[in-house]
Amino acid sequence: MSLQNMLLALYESDFSLWIRQNPPVFPTLESFHVIAIALVFGTILIVDLRLIGFTAHRRSIDKLITELLPFTWGAFALAVVTGLLMFVANAPAYMNNAQFLWKMVVIAAAGINMMIFHATIYRRIADWDVTIPPPNAARTAGVLSITLWLTVIYLGRWIGFTLETFF
Amino acid sequence: MSIQTFSQWLYATPLAVAFREMVWFIPTVQTIHILAIAILVGAALVSNLRLAGIIATDETPAAVVRRYLPWMGPALIVLLSTGTLLVIAEPGRTLGNTVFWVKMVLVLSGFALTRGFQKPVLALQPVGAAPVALAKPAAWLSLVVWGAVIFCGRFIAYT
Repeated sequence: MSLQNMLLALYESDFSLWIRQNPPVFPTLESFHVIAIALVFGTILIVDLRLIGFTAHRRSIDKLITELLPFTWGAFALAVVTGLLMFVANAPAYMNNAQFLWKMVVIAAAGINMMIFHATIYRRIADWDVTIPPPNAARTAGVLSITLWLTVIYLGRWIGFTLETFF
Repeated sequence: MSIQTFSQWLYATPLAVAFREMVWFIPTVQTIHILAIAILVGAALVSNLRLAGIIATDETPAAVVRRYLPWMGPALIVLLSTGTLLVIAEPGRTLGNTVFWVKMVLVLSGFALTRGFQKPVLALQPVGAAPVALAKPAAWLSLVVWGAVIFCGRFIAYT
């Protein structure tokens, strides 16, 4: 079964049809998706700005990360679930949409940036936990994170203007 | 002049036409609008979770609120300015829409709740001081209000 056929099968499934045929469902998914985005970006921005050297309510970066990351992850999970459900409603259209595909690439890049941060400079957090300005590696990770998430949100908004729902 | 005639007049103004003709304009302004709501929600989340006693309980509520309140005012100004641009570009979608006006009332309530509690909370200094009356329910209510604002925002496009 080719990818195209799988996407079409998904599109023709009862669940996919149910989302498309009940007008309030899709905007409700979108609303929760935006709430999730606001929580992800809002909390990650506080951590990223602290990594760059702006002050937060915690002097310790480690404390700030431990305190806020559960909220970031919880909201990210909500964004993934609502995003998947929107994808199920129009799978072939999303797969044909350049903005959607780029958005996935940039989310992956943000993930890689985070993994590199955790595998490198974060291991020595005890040395720079309360230092302002933080080391360059941490500041770079913060700037990259903000830039990548901004791009994700911009691409996401463009999907709404470019998705070809009917074909 | 009724809202409808005003909308039609606004829709036909050269400014509104120019906004609509630039293909990138509406998605870009909407993105800035979303970024501003994210900043506002992030600041509200941390402040209100502190007021509700969930996080950073070893810091005073005043210390936490003082750190994030200065982000909320400018974020709200960006929201109102980008929102105004979007109304100018597509007045029919908003001004004649009940959901839009519900959203405006909710924004005002969120603003009033934040303003109403910031003063007594900021005045609280010692760590062990008695909490401001009703600060906890007000904190949860504000988070629900900002969530409802986002909900209305998305539903404007569908009603």
